[in-house]
Amino acid sequence: MDRREFIRFAALLGVAAGTAYAMAGMSAPAMAGGTLPFPAAEPGAKRGGKLRIGEMVARMEDPATYNWNEMANQTRPILEYLTLVGPDNVVRPMLMESWKPSADLKTWTLQVRSGVMWHNGENLTAEHVAWNIRRWSDPALGSSNLGLSTFAALTEYTGDKDSKGQAVRRPLKNGVEVLDSHTLRLNLGKPVLSVAEDCGEFCTLVVHPSFKAPLSHNPIGTGAYTLAELRVGDRCILKRITKTTDGADFHYWGGEVFLDEIHFYHYEQENQTAALASGSVDAIYELPVEQIELARSIPGAQILSVETAQTLCCRMQVDVKPFDDIRVRRAVVKAADNAAIKKLVFGEHGLVAGNFHVAPVHPEYFPLPPLARDVAGAKQLLRDAGYDKGIDLNIVVGNNDGPWQQAACEALRDQVKEAGINLAVTVVPATKFWEIWRKVPFGATSWAHRPLGTMALAQAYRTGASWNESHFSDPEFDQALSDAEATIDIPTRKAKMQKVEKILQDAAVVVQPMWRPVFILASAKVHGYKAHPARQMQLTKVWLS
Amino acid sequence: MGNLIVRRVTQMLLIMLTVSLLLFAIFDSDQFREKAAVAELGGFGVATLSDSDYHEWLERKGLNAPFLSRYGQWLRSVLHGELGRSNEKDIAVSALLGESLANTAILAFFVFLIMIPVSLALGVLAGMNAGSPVDRVISVVAVFTTSIPQIATAVLLTVILGLGLGWVPTKSAMTDGWSFRALVLPLLTLLLYDIGYLVRMTRAAMTEVMASQYIRTAVLKGLPYRRVILRHALRNALIVPVTLIFLELNGLLSQVVVVEVFFQYAGFGRMLFDAANFGDIQVLQAATLVAVCVAVGSQLLSDAAYVFLNPRVRFA
Repeated sequence: MDRREFIRFAALLGVAAGTAYAMAGMSAPAMAGGTLPFPAAEPGAKRGGKLRIGEMVARMEDPATYNWNEMANQTRPILEYLTLVGPDNVVRPMLMESWKPSADLKTWTLQVRSGVMWHNGENLTAEHVAWNIRRWSDPALGSSNLGLSTFAALTEYTGDKDSKGQAVRRPLKNGVEVLDSHTLRLNLGKPVLSVAEDCGEFCTLVVHPSFKAPLSHNPIGTGAYTLAELRVGDRCILKRITKTTDGADFHYWGGEVFLDEIHFYHYEQENQTAALASGSVDAIYELPVEQIELARSIPGAQILSVETAQTLCCRMQVDVKPFDDIRVRRAVVKAADNAAIKKLVFGEHGLVAGNFHVAPVHPEYFPLPPLARDVAGAKQLLRDAGYDKGIDLNIVVGNNDGPWQQAACEALRDQVKEAGINLAVTVVPATKFWEIWRKVPFGATSWAHRPLGTMALAQAYRTGASWNESHFSDPEFDQALSDAEATIDIPTRKAKMQKVEKILQDAAVVVQPMWRPVFILASAKVHGYKAHPARQMQLTKVWLS
Repeated sequence: MGNLIVRRVTQMLLIMLTVSLLLFAIFDSDQFREKAAVAELGGFGVATLSDSDYHEWLERKGLNAPFLSRYGQWLRSVLHGELGRSNEKDIAVSALLGESLANTAILAFFVFLIMIPVSLALGVLAGMNAGSPVDRVISVVAVFTTSIPQIATAVLLTVILGLGLGWVPTKSAMTDGWSFRALVLPLLTLLLYDIGYLVRMTRAAMTEVMASQYIRTAVLKGLPYRRVILRHALRNALIVPVTLIFLELNGLLSQVVVVEVFFQYAGFGRMLFDAANFGDIQVLQAATLVAVCVAVGSQLLSDAAYVFLNPRVRFA
């Protein structure tokens, strides 16, 4: 077990990350002390000022059904998570102080942090947290949280099927149990490894039980800021909260906070760099890779980056012609050169992926041998499958995460052409893509960063999972994945991942060229603003000089 | 004239009724309902809903009501002056529409303020001296500016004036309040195209008039050249450009979509773009009514101007 893995392992068991770093004999990133999830204040950090951020300003309806990261960014200074996944991909305790699984990973005891004050003056209790978790596990809510293993394991199948043949679920009866004012227990239907990570995913911001959508009308949170003004498509103004709604002094649990105000100004993705260049904003949500040169020409601007597990899955539906023939899928995979696509789109940045959806940044990543391109082999496979004269395919891409997705698909098109595969690239608007993403036989879907490698596999490749867009179904894979998921010890889990990864890679379900890097941009006066693999803006300790 | 106005207004109301019915019919489809669900819950969220939960969700949002009752309700509230509420932006459509129309009106005001004198002067100058070097220069420049798409002009101007020289902000979001400097880039982008177009039209009209018999007669009978131009030529040459200027009002409404979206100017075009993107039906409906109103209104104004300037078509 190397040191990094040890820290991940310890964090999983609820050991404070700071302690874990110490146990591993490594110097931990300086933390604010105790069990706080935030980095320590930098020496010379100054209080005051307003940070102006360029991002798309979205509505703030219901945090459990957020579908844009920007919505969560506007909300994170107001509402908080139970756990916080840091820029180093390590999960730390936030509104819950610690967590402890049973040996079979089916029962988790969660300790809610004490001394956390709501904006209305009440104290955060286990009852409040239980209310939120029950809500996230309600199949009628339409929250993407139900795709997360923890909340899925708090539901059971009724045995009925709806008119489309989808199995109907209902919440488990005794899934969430409140033990005392600050302790609760999750009785999961099956073993889950990622409870702490799931509780820090972007739709799990904790709301007060009096919550009624839209959040923007009456936001009650535990964070250091409150909403002063929201104009969708224009601006979102957050201000430090000093008084509770009933006039008492508000005490923030997370220690010192520096910014007086956080202003989000609406700039479309491609306009944000230009807005920073003319001084209209101090930091931007994301710097697209094609604008890095422009960003370098801005005097004093800081370009920050991080490697992630965000990716593009060019996935084929294994039960739809012609992809139901594995030889066709293998031919596509063999004709593709993942490393070349990565290099073309992201240059020296980003990491090459191997078509099995586990990333080097994941603690249980087992490195399989790199893929080699084999055009002759691809041609032979096509001939065997009866496509002597080549084959016409069509891939649908929505550019939900930026035009780089289309660039990757076009590179793929040019590569597979040599093997006699005529791939047409159909570009649809981003909003349109989410209406059809599960329906197209060959589609390029962007998958967000997840802190653990097993998380995306459980969501996208397990038989019958809500987001199983490729319709991949293999009992052996499911069993091997469950096996890995039931293993806390990281070296053992890593060894078990070899089988999981190999089955998925051999099944040729996806061409997954790369793990994309994330770049952000800030002006010289912004301190403590970090690139996050899941693009979470964590502004608690950011300050301005 | 009165007849014409009545005819045009009736026509406008009929178009409004048809277009709104069509829009409603388009948005009544299952496809649109799914679009609305995806817009609110996201593709991953919708994927977690079972079929019955999905229909319950539609019910809660009022998207499952029968077509005619929804259209009837909308029609009734519009007749009462209620335009509904924007689902995406969570404010009254009338407020949103008012604000964005005011912003576009400011932009349009400056466009017309600069475009009319500049392009008429240049066009007349070129037309008066058809074939001369002055005409050649003006015509070539005009063809050049009209032949570049506005999106390209916008990028060029941003790079030169915004990023290169740093004279004006690159975007017109005006986060710190209204500023004329932030209006410069969208204004120039619109002007370059519109001036070029109007100059060419004016030049063509002027050239034609200058070649006519009565101008030759006027020159031959010894009238001062100045008087020939101002009294005889201009009055006839300006008929076409003036009607075009009124029609330009309508053209501007579609041009601003590109320009406002690019420069992030909070006007009518951007509102329309956002509403179309998010399937914000109440906003789309209201915007369509305004667009029809402007289209028919500018036609009416243009007709009136034509009648006023051209005695030959004056009604008895």
